[in-house]
Amino acid sequence: MNKKVLLIFTIVMALVFIGPMLFTIISSLKENREIFSSPFSLPEVFKFENYVFAWKEANMGRYILNSIIISSSTVIVAALVGSMASFVIARFNFKINKYLLLFFLLGMMIPMHSVLVPVAYVIGVLGLKNNLVALVLIYVAFLLPFTIIVLTRFMKSVSPSLEEAAIMDGASYFQVYYKIMLPMTVPAISTVSIFNFLASWNDILFPLMFINDDRLKPVALGLLNFSGERASEYGPLMAAITIVILIPLIVYLLFQEKVESGLAAGSVKG
Amino acid sequence: MYVKRKSERFKVFSFALPALLIYIIFLVIPIVGAVYFSLVEWNGIKGSPLEFVGLQNYFDVIADPDFRISLMNLLSLVFFSVLFHTPIALLLAVSLNTKFKGYRFFKVIYFVPTIFPLTAIGLLWYFIFMPNGSLNSFLDLIGLSEFATGWLINPSTAMGTVIFVNIWAGIGYYMVILLAGLTTIPDELYEAAKIDGATPVKQFLHITIPMLKPIITLCILMDIIGTVKVFDLIFVMTEGGPNGLTNLPTTLMYYEAFRYNNFGFGSAIGVIILLIALVLTIGSESIMNRKRKSE
Repeated sequence: MNKKVLLIFTIVMALVFIGPMLFTIISSLKENREIFSSPFSLPEVFKFENYVFAWKEANMGRYILNSIIISSSTVIVAALVGSMASFVIARFNFKINKYLLLFFLLGMMIPMHSVLVPVAYVIGVLGLKNNLVALVLIYVAFLLPFTIIVLTRFMKSVSPSLEEAAIMDGASYFQVYYKIMLPMTVPAISTVSIFNFLASWNDILFPLMFINDDRLKPVALGLLNFSGERASEYGPLMAAITIVILIPLIVYLLFQEKVESGLAAGSVKG
Repeated sequence: MYVKRKSERFKVFSFALPALLIYIIFLVIPIVGAVYFSLVEWNGIKGSPLEFVGLQNYFDVIADPDFRISLMNLLSLVFFSVLFHTPIALLLAVSLNTKFKGYRFFKVIYFVPTIFPLTAIGLLWYFIFMPNGSLNSFLDLIGLSEFATGWLINPSTAMGTVIFVNIWAGIGYYMVILLAGLTTIPDELYEAAKIDGATPVKQFLHITIPMLKPIITLCILMDIIGTVKVFDLIFVMTEGGPNGLTNLPTTLMYYEAFRYNNFGFGSAIGVIILLIALVLTIGSESIMNRKRKSE
């Protein structure tokens, strides 16, 4: 490609990407009035109170804590039950294994949206409204197909000689899983976990259905709450948006390659 | 590994049981439930009876003009996503792959929107596109105020605006995948082409694109499947409005089921979404498999 043209394109696109983000960040430090009277200038005085307001009054701190709890639990449960199932599928010659993998694979095609009504019904009947455990288990169910496929493939690529030797020495199957397989699978688990973390962090569909207690809402939904209730407090709202986008930005800057490979793994199937 | 004793075999297999249980209870049974609910009439009130109505909900959905609008919107969203996502992502990836000074900064800028919650992206753009938002102020500033409009409430611009934001939010994802693909193309190919006097444009057309073809295909297929699941952006920016003109099947399903309590109707849309996703996924898998075999 012509280098100059390409570079100009790259810079123009960068403006389209930075512009809105920068505008939001700058507005988050302004008075309400100033956002509209001089939208494109720097703030006259930096109004950091907007952040204090967003964090405390608008509960953003609480929402972020909720999201951390929900997403971490999802990641841990999915990694644990997923790696156990993958261990069985990858390492043993049960006749059923082929069908088991296929059974899990089918789940990857299911959009969450298709099951909202039955899930709402079951939640209502079983009285699971505002139950974070139910929320986590639903996420785990939807993330298991991807988790198991990636982990199974990884485990199959590792030579079983170490495990066979351990069995010879009288180790139990659980010890083989816990002491050998699990530690060896850590690279794949961390890749999968980043994907799982982001997926559960960013979802609003299921919390929308059955988390209506404000103290339990995750951040992606809590942000909407804030904008719905105080639509005219633009400064604090922009501060809240900034807080919400800064977290993934920082995480990405810290673990750049892991995040990219975690997301890219979502594209590789079968 | 081979396990001989029967009791041992069950013990080993029990490792897979927690995953199986969670998967069956929270995913498989709900799918069966989704099909069941699409065949009944239910008003959403706990304890009120479910009345079996057969395929009536599906007939209602297909005859519903709002559903047709949502399907057309989905089609145009798919069309424009495919048209812009992968080509722009490819150009950016090629540009970043030259590793010019500061390319890392640009990579971060393009990529981060893909990991932002879509509600935050939707809100961020909502405040730019609202009638007294910054886009209109900007148009004022550069003397183009006649183009200022309520971008998300004007029926002729609302869907286009949503499509734009959806494209913006997705480019980085495809860029990263294509960038990974670019690093697998051997440098010798380009060097040989340079010696033969091929211009950079020719190198792009005759080396880069053919070498990346499987990954480009993958990106396009993923884009199509992913677009079927778009929900948050519409939910945040337009709520399907003005007048249901920006609804997608996903948002229409949500509003019908949970705002108007037409659970059977909503479920039928849910099952149709499921069928669309199944057909697209199976179709794209077979395309990819054929590609793999032919190469």
